[in-house]
Amino acid sequence: MALNIASSPHMSKPLRTSTVMQRVLLCALPGLAVQIAFFGWGTLFQVLLAMLTALISESAIMKLRARPVASALSDNSALLTALLIGVAVPPLAPWWLTVIGTAFAIIIVKQLYGGLGNNLFNPAMAAYVVLLIAFPVQMTSWVAPISIAEHSPQLLESLRIILAGTQISVADTFQQGIDGFTMATPLDTLRTDLSQGHVISDILQKSAFNGVVGAGWFWVNLAYLFGGLLMLKMRLIRWHISAGVLGALSICAAIGWMWEPATHVSPLMHLFSGATMLGAFFIATDPVTAATSNKGRVIFGAIIGLLVYLIRSYGGYPDAFAFAVLLANLTAPLLDYYIKPRTYGHGRASS
Amino acid sequence: MNLIDIIEQNTLWPLTGGIHPAEMKHLSNQTTIARLPLAKTFYIPLPQVGDSALLVVKVGDRVLKGQPLTKSAGAMYLAAHAPTSGLITAITPHASNHPSALPELTCIIEADGKDESVPYHSAAAQELSKEELIARIREAGIAGMGGAMFPSHIKLRPAAKIELLIINGVECEPYISSDDRLMREHAANIVAGIEIIQQLIGARRIVIAIEDNKAEAAAAMTSAIAQSAALKPIALVRVIPTKYPSGGEKQLIQIITGKEVPSGSIPAQLGIVVHNVGTAYAIRDAVVEGKPLIERVVTVTGGNIEQNGNYWLPIGTPVSHVLQQLKLRKDKQAQVIVGGPMMGYALPDANVPVLKGTNCLLIPKRNELTHASAERACIRCGECAQVCPASLLPQQLYWHAKAEEYDKANAFNLQDCIECGCCAFVCPSEIPLVKYYRVAKAAIRKDRAEKVQAEQAKIRFEARIARLEQEKQEREAKAKEAAERRKAAMNNDDKDAVAAALARVQAKKQAQATTAPSNDAIAAAVARAKAKKQQAISATDTATDDKKSQVAAAIARAKAKKAQASASDTSAASASTLDTPAQDSKQAQIAAAVARAKAKKAAQTAPAQNNEVADKLATDGVEQINSTNDKAARVAAAVARAKAKKTAATESSVESAEAPSTDQKAQVAAPDDKAARVAAAVARAKAKKAAQTDEQAASETTLTEAPATQEKADEKQAKIAAAIAKAKAKKAVLSGSDDAEQTEAMSKQADDNSESSSVSAADAKKARIAAAVAKAKAKKAAEQDNQENQS
Amino acid sequence: MLTAVVLLTLLALVFGVILGFAAEKFRVEGNPIVDQLEALLPQTQCGQCGFPGCRPYAEAIANGEKINRCPPGGTATMEKLADLMGVEPEPLSAEAQDQTKKVAFIREEECIGCTKCIQACPVDAIVGAGKLMHTVLTVNCTGCDLCVEPCPVDCIDMIPVAQNTRSWDWRLNAIPVKTL
Repeated sequence: MALNIASSPHMSKPLRTSTVMQRVLLCALPGLAVQIAFFGWGTLFQVLLAMLTALISESAIMKLRARPVASALSDNSALLTALLIGVAVPPLAPWWLTVIGTAFAIIIVKQLYGGLGNNLFNPAMAAYVVLLIAFPVQMTSWVAPISIAEHSPQLLESLRIILAGTQISVADTFQQGIDGFTMATPLDTLRTDLSQGHVISDILQKSAFNGVVGAGWFWVNLAYLFGGLLMLKMRLIRWHISAGVLGALSICAAIGWMWEPATHVSPLMHLFSGATMLGAFFIATDPVTAATSNKGRVIFGAIIGLLVYLIRSYGGYPDAFAFAVLLANLTAPLLDYYIKPRTYGHGRASS
Repeated sequence: MNLIDIIEQNTLWPLTGGIHPAEMKHLSNQTTIARLPLAKTFYIPLPQVGDSALLVVKVGDRVLKGQPLTKSAGAMYLAAHAPTSGLITAITPHASNHPSALPELTCIIEADGKDESVPYHSAAAQELSKEELIARIREAGIAGMGGAMFPSHIKLRPAAKIELLIINGVECEPYISSDDRLMREHAANIVAGIEIIQQLIGARRIVIAIEDNKAEAAAAMTSAIAQSAALKPIALVRVIPTKYPSGGEKQLIQIITGKEVPSGSIPAQLGIVVHNVGTAYAIRDAVVEGKPLIERVVTVTGGNIEQNGNYWLPIGTPVSHVLQQLKLRKDKQAQVIVGGPMMGYALPDANVPVLKGTNCLLIPKRNELTHASAERACIRCGECAQVCPASLLPQQLYWHAKAEEYDKANAFNLQDCIECGCCAFVCPSEIPLVKYYRVAKAAIRKDRAEKVQAEQAKIRFEARIARLEQEKQEREAKAKEAAERRKAAMNNDDKDAVAAALARVQAKKQAQATTAPSNDAIAAAVARAKAKKQQAISATDTATDDKKSQVAAAIARAKAKKAQASASDTSAASASTLDTPAQDSKQAQIAAAVARAKAKKAAQTAPAQNNEVADKLATDGVEQINSTNDKAARVAAAVARAKAKKTAATESSVESAEAPSTDQKAQVAAPDDKAARVAAAVARAKAKKAAQTDEQAASETTLTEAPATQEKADEKQAKIAAAIAKAKAKKAVLSGSDDAEQTEAMSKQADDNSESSSVSAADAKKARIAAAVAKAKAKKAAEQDNQENQS
Repeated sequence: MLTAVVLLTLLALVFGVILGFAAEKFRVEGNPIVDQLEALLPQTQCGQCGFPGCRPYAEAIANGEKINRCPPGGTATMEKLADLMGVEPEPLSAEAQDQTKKVAFIREEECIGCTKCIQACPVDAIVGAGKLMHTVLTVNCTGCDLCVEPCPVDCIDMIPVAQNTRSWDWRLNAIPVKTL
């Protein structure tokens, strides 16, 4: 009998990384389903396409780095990145957009920084920003929600549009966005109209909004909120980051709204528009690129919330999660450096 | 809020972090504590012997159960006793019960099976004074039985006033149930032990902390306390929630009092002392029964053992014996963990003893605890930080420990890590975090030790420099004084007296050289020493030069010895010639050889006087000599050392080339070249010095004029130079010629017979010149000597 | 034009005053860089750098000497020195040394009591008297090697310091696997 030597603890009951990632993916399903229900099958194809690209690029780069491919693929982190890209790009965006974005996320943002755990930026969000800057037209032509669209593409038609890879003309979608099935997102419409001197109450009467918030988006956000709460319940994430994001966003929005309601939308609009819930629970909570201490995480989340509000209200882009997350990622090492929990026996003279 | 109020309030504070591992205590806590048959061999580690303790037994002694093996007056002394009667077969390094299993000094006792005991002297604790109690506990060798093995008698004599005594019966580690069973079965004895501890430290409150998964133990302790008149009013049993690691000393204090032990200090500073229930039990045994700590309760459990349970095991019982007795299941891979699954260590060797702190032997089935899987990348999920009882940031520590950035890891308070293993328990990437911390901590410890040593070295170095400086100044002052005295005495017959003494020495040496060539070198060395001494006498007081001559003599002896050592390594040819007469004549021959080698070396380079290195060295020497005449002696000593060094440096090559064949001399000469140059430089320096110190000599004498100057120099200086030349001659010959020739040459040289040199016969032209120069010097010296004698 | 000249002059004056004040207020006493450098050196006082002790070498580094001359400090010290001086790390000038710590040991039966090693020891870690046996105080020995050469009978060995359970470095992988 050979004696095994190992370091203590000899016992462990971990929730393995692969399991965590897998469960996060499952928790995103309700949101994905609602998104498909409101914006058509395109999203599903985008997600699948992104996942395929992610797996291929991950195995390729691991092979190039001479690291074990199987273990990298089995941690499911690439799939999660792919899912986030898939739901973030417009449902009917051309296929190459998703492929470029996902490959960039996996190869450049994640693996070239040293792989899982070493990347400074959230891969999905970095990829999104690259796409947004490189292909602004494709990235901003979102499909109209099925409920208000004159015509919505069906399963195969969506696939055909995506694979055709042709640019959908969206030159006029900024105005009202009825050219069939693409239009600007509600937040985009909002900012365009605001810049033209309309007041909120008028804008909200447009068909893109169902009174208070963007049509369809409310339910999508609600579904992601549900998924997020599920993750909290399953202890896949801790509450600190999400609470920071939502708290800061609500407070900022409430102040702005109370101060000048004509040009500032309500907190509800902010919370249930665009990528708010997806961002607060699925994107900002990426542990690799966030701060690590509890206090640091609340601040990290608050920075995201504040930046989202500022960019949405005063910046040049309609939605801001990608930028906000990337900027907050930059602050994470600093937060970790300055915000440390008080170690047992330090400070507070044993009162 | 003071401690008493806190205890009165009856509140519990939550433990920071912590985890809930599967308890698994039911495996072993169902049966009463049993005994196993005695082992045949016992291993009692004696780590303090050779450090602060002395052995009181020796190999071959028969010892009885409970007989002490060591003694010491040291404060940290932890007594060791024989656990059974038997014969001491060895006291030797043996694998230790330690994660490294590095060997440690161990007393190996072969049990005779009789288990005869020394008589124990029982006593009533109440009647003993504090000193007597402490002495009994110290003699019994009681150490913290929770695992730390810190001598208990130190903790029982705290410097600060103790308000609160906590008795730790928490036993939070999974699988372990030794304290549980002990409390259930021996609550009264534990309480008696607590009474003794209380008698010693006089705490105002006593809290016995037990986890809520040990209800029976808590009940037993409660009823035992109720029966103790002394403890009833101040002691209480506090049941705390089951959570790992509540049983850690710092964590337990936090739970009971809400206070934190400041980093780097001990609980006594808060007025708190924590003792383990097992320790209390052992203290009672020691004080009341006079029985030393020679056995303890050990939980032996795990899926690979059939009879899980608790056992009284004598300290020193080999783990392998326990495994054998309890029917270890056959398995290809086994793991023997000492301690619990969270903090215990896997033994690399099962033939190690049970120690005073060994509370559990865990022998799990494969995959019973966890199946080993590869460490993956940290995803910074922060779960580790959530469970850390010390509120550290384990993932940051991990990054820094892995990158070996230990100062950064220290900035994250690595030293406050208690290695409880909670972080690794929850890590989703299955990183062995604690392993990284231990390596980092060990490295930091080493760094600190090195820093301390460096500081000490610096202090010692500076002290030495200061001392040397002081000595130098003193010497200079003395030399100045002496120089003045000599100046005054220059016209007296002092000069004659010195000269006469030197002449006598020279004459004696010559006589010896002619009559007995074999004794030549000894004579030469003695003469040299004497000459030096004489010279020194003339310059300085007797105290210093006596020492110097001793040094010189020692050097001569050392050289002889060394030469002898190297000679024995060389070819048989030279060995046979060396072996011929008695021991001292042999040595003398070698010494002679050495001396001649030096002369040769010196001479080889003498003609080539444009050698820059030599010149430089010589000038340096001159500069030094300029100040005082007396310094010459020191310079000579330095020269001797330098020569020795050079010889040593070239020794190896010389040895290889030392076969008696004359052809190889040239080869030998090459590596010696440098040494020879130095020697030559020194010779020149001395010549110059001689010239300078002589009133007749001109101070502007140059190096090339050295021989000429020497002619003009007075008898004394010339003789010194001659002595040096001869000394050098000895050294040079070591690298070359065979022994017959050496002795011959030596005698001839001493005889001042300069007609033919046997060295020159075989040697190159260079060597001949060298010999000639050396001989010339010797001749000159002799001539002057003669003149001296005549006058 | 005039205003500009006046303004610039004033500015120059103000900044001059500020700079002068700062120079007085925050003046650095002594040459702390030498102290910092010395703190990094291992204090073996071995002289292998070519300077008579660690302090002189620290002073030499401060004056531009190379940072790679300290074999006892090894690569780690060299890197720290490079860091402090803001220069590129260089490989050690001496031949690759093994970094195991060694201490001198005198084979006592061979010692002739010549005191040469005592004189050579920079930290006074050798005790003994003329004609009497010498021995090394291991705790004070810096392993500088300086006593080995002067010994006329070569009775000094440099012995690697053995690991014990207290100084063990927790390298579990280094433990050979045993069987039961």
